[in-house]
Amino acid sequence: MKVKRLEMAVPRRLPALRSWLEQKERRLGLISSIDGEQLITLVLDPRAAAAELWESPLEADQYPSLTPAIPQCHWFERAVFDLFGLYADGHPRLKGVLLHEEYDPQFQPLRTGARPPGIVSTAQRRHEFLRVEGEGVYELPVGPIHAGIIEPGHFRLSCLGEVILNLEIRLGYLHRGVEKRMTQVPWGKGRFVAEAASSDTAVANALAHAIAIEALLGIEVPARAQFLRSLALEVERIAMHIIDIGGMAVDIGFLGIASSLARMRGSALRLADLLAGSRFMRGFICPGGVKRDPGANLAKIHQSVRQLNFAVEKIVSMFLDSPGAQERLEGVGRVSPSLAREFGLVGVAARGCGIAYDTRAHFEHGTFPRYAPPVVTESAGDALSRIRVRVAELFNSMSFVYNLSDAVPDGPVLTELPENLPPDSTGLGIVEAYRGELIHLAFTDAAGRIKRYVIKDPSFNNWTGLSIAVRNNLVADFPICNKSFSLSYSGHDL
Amino acid sequence: MLKLLTYLISQGIATAKELFPPLDEACIGMPRLTSGPCLGDSCDACARVCPTDAITVQGNGERTTVTLDRGACIACGLCIETCPTGTIAGDLSTDVARRRRQDLVLSAGSAPGTEPSAASPAPGVEPIATGHATAIFRKSLALRVVSTGCSACDLEIGAAGNPIFDMERFGVSVVASPRAADALVVTGPAGKGMQSALLSCYEAMSEPRLVIAAGTCSISGGIHKGGYAEANGVDALLPVEVYIPGCPPHPWSIIHGIMLAMDPNKPDVEP
Repeated sequence: MKVKRLEMAVPRRLPALRSWLEQKERRLGLISSIDGEQLITLVLDPRAAAAELWESPLEADQYPSLTPAIPQCHWFERAVFDLFGLYADGHPRLKGVLLHEEYDPQFQPLRTGARPPGIVSTAQRRHEFLRVEGEGVYELPVGPIHAGIIEPGHFRLSCLGEVILNLEIRLGYLHRGVEKRMTQVPWGKGRFVAEAASSDTAVANALAHAIAIEALLGIEVPARAQFLRSLALEVERIAMHIIDIGGMAVDIGFLGIASSLARMRGSALRLADLLAGSRFMRGFICPGGVKRDPGANLAKIHQSVRQLNFAVEKIVSMFLDSPGAQERLEGVGRVSPSLAREFGLVGVAARGCGIAYDTRAHFEHGTFPRYAPPVVTESAGDALSRIRVRVAELFNSMSFVYNLSDAVPDGPVLTELPENLPPDSTGLGIVEAYRGELIHLAFTDAAGRIKRYVIKDPSFNNWTGLSIAVRNNLVADFPICNKSFSLSYSGHDL
Repeated sequence: MLKLLTYLISQGIATAKELFPPLDEACIGMPRLTSGPCLGDSCDACARVCPTDAITVQGNGERTTVTLDRGACIACGLCIETCPTGTIAGDLSTDVARRRRQDLVLSAGSAPGTEPSAASPAPGVEPIATGHATAIFRKSLALRVVSTGCSACDLEIGAAGNPIFDMERFGVSVVASPRAADALVVTGPAGKGMQSALLSCYEAMSEPRLVIAAGTCSISGGIHKGGYAEANGVDALLPVEVYIPGCPPHPWSIIHGIMLAMDPNKPDVEP
């Protein structure tokens, strides 16, 4: 989509962002930099389906931190520190979040501007955990390698008895340099890198990438392709929500439910096979449309999703209607709506606290917002709310796929693409991934090459939400809190 | 509870009886080489479209050689779609794991008498290279799965344990500690951030121990190869027993690879 670019002097950033966020439902999209010579702030107005990009030129490696006034900025400013060596002055806990001690302190991978590398020291790259002190307080380290089959990250729990006083999350173990790689490969191959950023979200990443590139090129996508894109995105949501609900069933000991849901995920992946030719629908969505036309398989999808709906309905009602499950989940990992707003939570985590933010209702991607499933919210902000939101969204997505697969218009699925990207342009893609708002932002240089590619995964907003949620909960409830958020490590660390 | 039990019993047995069936016809699968006559380097369309440089084409006219490294392939299907002569085609088979890295590299030539080489030497022709001489793991293998990547492979390993594929019936279990593990399954390209944790995990395992590289990233770094994060796969860090290509590998392929690791006398592909 189009994005309005404005210049905004560094001292103006705070008042501007503050007044932007005071207006109802307006949001902060992301904060980053292009080459270390400036800060960029993407702000969103979902109601108007509009976005503004504020560019703030920097003359030094320091800038006043916005975090004390606007808490959501804290994680962005840490990432900017890692990738560009820019120092947020006044940030209460400025430390790395993506790069570990293994990286040279002078190494700032995305810094390509004219000024020499910044002021990061060895000491600043070493991770110091927040220490909670007091009689009987102990630390419980978990990870980076976890007990199950899951991505790596480190949790440092400071506990008193069985109660968690503080959780600090250390991430960055999966940093693979995806954003840099996006500027190194020919733009036509960038979609494979974008998909591999976080493959459980492959469709959403491919879609956000395609929309960003299409915005650069200024091309329209055929209607049939838009329908197929929506179908792919919702099939991904169905498969992943089934996994997340099943994972929760495992964590609270409902193994029969979990194994039944695992079978049903197989049926959801069968929809993916029929639509796109592979279980994760890799390589299906590309700039200009989609790579293949499922043709007669759409009728099979229409039938199978109905059967899947019946099967899931039966098993999920046995799970959520059970008093055992309800009691186990109720009140666990509660996040208040005001904190969710302050920290800019997105996706299921936000909707579980009553924040009705779903980009499918606002920003154009696929058939959205024209044909979109209803937005689901719950108000309690606890693990039970999050699982209820997920369940309701799962059913909405299944009926959406059922209806849409019968109504896909005829026509081509791919438009011809020009060979080169236009010079000095900006393209933005916003997609509702199954975890929430996913943003891709691409900049081209004077020669039409991609000079900077920013990916903001929904988990980037939500990891802080987990830290908030587990406070004053029991150590034994930590896995349930974690599962109820179901966050991506690879999408965060990129 | 009773309701659930009745339901579960009414569902019958979901577990697939046939091992390593081919993928559904709607699928793309990994690329394979056929005996279709390659045009040589006058047409290097496949090599140009490949996002991971997994294909090379040499020579033209009479003598051409195409090589395709499945250990670098992310199964995007572009080469299959692009090849004008059908030299590269889709492969729906799921028993794609191999013990030797070089066996993942397929090659085909147009020179007279050259047929596309099988990914693996014919059984009995060449002794199978194994890191462990013992068949101690033939009946059971405890896995420690360490993820260093994008989670697709992890989800598929999880799926390999679900009621449909049910790898536990072959004596395979996933354990929560390296101390209890026989084999380390690595997914993802093992970038700088994960290397020391991965090596500690390996060191904590008692011998004999095996390493299984699951997924293209763990074999070669895949799409991430050569970046500043040094995410070039686990081959550079640890001795690998079995390679399972795919992006991500199908649960059947994962089970195939694990079964190769369990039994040193099992040929890569059943004759």
